[in-house]
Amino acid sequence: MIASAARARAHPDLAPLWRGLVVYRVVALAAAVVNLVRAFDAWARPALGVAVLVGMAVWTAVSSWRYLRTGDPATAVVDLGLTALATASTLLVETPERVAAGGAVITTVWSAGPVLALAVALGWRGGLAGAVVTLGVLFGVRRTVDGALLFDAQLLLVAGLAVGLAADTMRRSTERLRAAAAREAATAERERLARDIHDGVLQVLALVRRRGDELPAPELARLAGEQEVALRRLITSSPAPREDGTVDLAARLGGALPARASLAVPAGPVLLPAADADELAAVVREAAANAATHAGADAGLWVLVEDDDTGVTVSVRDDGIGIPEGRLEEAAAQGHLGVAGSIRGRVAALGGTLALHTAPGEGTEWEIHVPRREV
Amino acid sequence: MVRVMVVDDHPIWREGVARDLAERGVDVVATAPDGAAAVRIAPATRPDVVLMDLQLPQLSGAEATARIRAALPDTRVLVLSASAEHGDVLGAVRAGASGYLVKSAGLDELVDAVTRTAAGQAVFSPGLAGLVLGEYRRLEGVGPDEPRLTPRETEVLRLVAKGLTARAIASRLTLSHRTVENHVQNSLRKLQLANRVELTRYAIEQGLDTDD
Repeated sequence: MIASAARARAHPDLAPLWRGLVVYRVVALAAAVVNLVRAFDAWARPALGVAVLVGMAVWTAVSSWRYLRTGDPATAVVDLGLTALATASTLLVETPERVAAGGAVITTVWSAGPVLALAVALGWRGGLAGAVVTLGVLFGVRRTVDGALLFDAQLLLVAGLAVGLAADTMRRSTERLRAAAAREAATAERERLARDIHDGVLQVLALVRRRGDELPAPELARLAGEQEVALRRLITSSPAPREDGTVDLAARLGGALPARASLAVPAGPVLLPAADADELAAVVREAAANAATHAGADAGLWVLVEDDDTGVTVSVRDDGIGIPEGRLEEAAAQGHLGVAGSIRGRVAALGGTLALHTAPGEGTEWEIHVPRREV
Repeated sequence: MVRVMVVDDHPIWREGVARDLAERGVDVVATAPDGAAAVRIAPATRPDVVLMDLQLPQLSGAEATARIRAALPDTRVLVLSASAEHGDVLGAVRAGASGYLVKSAGLDELVDAVTRTAAGQAVFSPGLAGLVLGEYRRLEGVGPDEPRLTPRETEVLRLVAKGLTARAIASRLTLSHRTVENHVQNSLRKLQLANRVELTRYAIEQGLDTDD
């Protein structure tokens, strides 16, 4: 089940070719029915002819379903064998005279189906092999190389090679596109890493080289420690969304916070829809920036991420001077939306709630709760 | 004098930590480059505190912690590791480690943590509190037999995770400093007990118990 699903996803870009094949097969089946009915009484065993056509109809349905679902070469090979048998049954259904006179085989153009299927599944080599086998069967039935057989040969070879080459080209261009997309993503990731390393580690290393002799040892240790944390977060953060469109909020926050911040998270990933995680990370960054402005750049900053059935809670706390009572209301009354208003608005847009605890001398603590939403 | 064993596979780091601790009057009785060596050396040197890295060759830090704690119940394990390996930290704590410090911590912080660990206290960084809170939340979804935090313990752990000191927590919740310490320790002890019960049950299920 899993294997066939994986194969079905292997080349989704060939789907139009498979759909085309299925349409061709159904139309060709109708042609075979018309061919049988038109001169019904002339056939040696018309009842057997009907039975063969019923078999062809059933196989058309089964093989079409397989091609559209998995597009696997095995079905095409089975298709080639069954179609050869059906074509060979012409010898029993048809009178030898009519066969010798160059009448159509019972499968008519339906017999080109596996040639096209092999071409789509295996490329031009598959198409060529299918055409050769089908021609062999046709020759076995007719026992003569006449104009009709040569005409069939041209059509089968052209169709098998052309469709096969088209399938090869589609496969190759898809792979090229994928490789290009991967290269682009890798470049973007490299640039992001370079930016982060430049902003943090390289600045600190430059400072240490320039003023290493003058800097007191504890200051050096603090700088080195911060950059170590920053680098670790950088190499563990995985900014790319998963297949289901969610990202790990903990990893996102790791990249969004200054190195001196403490980040407390659960061991497992905290999955949120990518857009929600980005917005929440932006809110936390804003709260952290506000803490740096008001509590001072050296104030402690702690972020706690909690994950439960109802949603995600992020607490951001600084140990700065705190906001005096009434200051926020005052700012709002004066028409300053301020950081509290901005954060409140963004949290509300996520369907969440915001609580703010602050008092002079006790620092500021934001508690943001966001419900879990569908991706 | 506190007797310490330093376990770390990185020689420069290992010797550096040993030297720093010795300069601060800590008795470094042994060092070990991997988990298996730590388990082998510990019974001979009987350290009060094992400073344990987590990503070790031979035997993982968590597994070495479990074996050392089983062989030497009076020896305490303090995890000193990089900040990234969340699952490993939790594994070591469940296996019996009584604290966790990131390697970027300063020397004062390290000496203080070693002293507190030797005195039987839990060394809880905000990061560890976050991991433990997350683990209890996860266990809530596992089943009714799993350990739970009391509301007060949850309250205390959340404040630890938000960076409040034990003293600040005590004053905010109007508890004694000692009570705060107890709540923190209990949260660890319950996880460790559940881990031992789980291991025993697993052993019995596998027919590994020797009584039978």
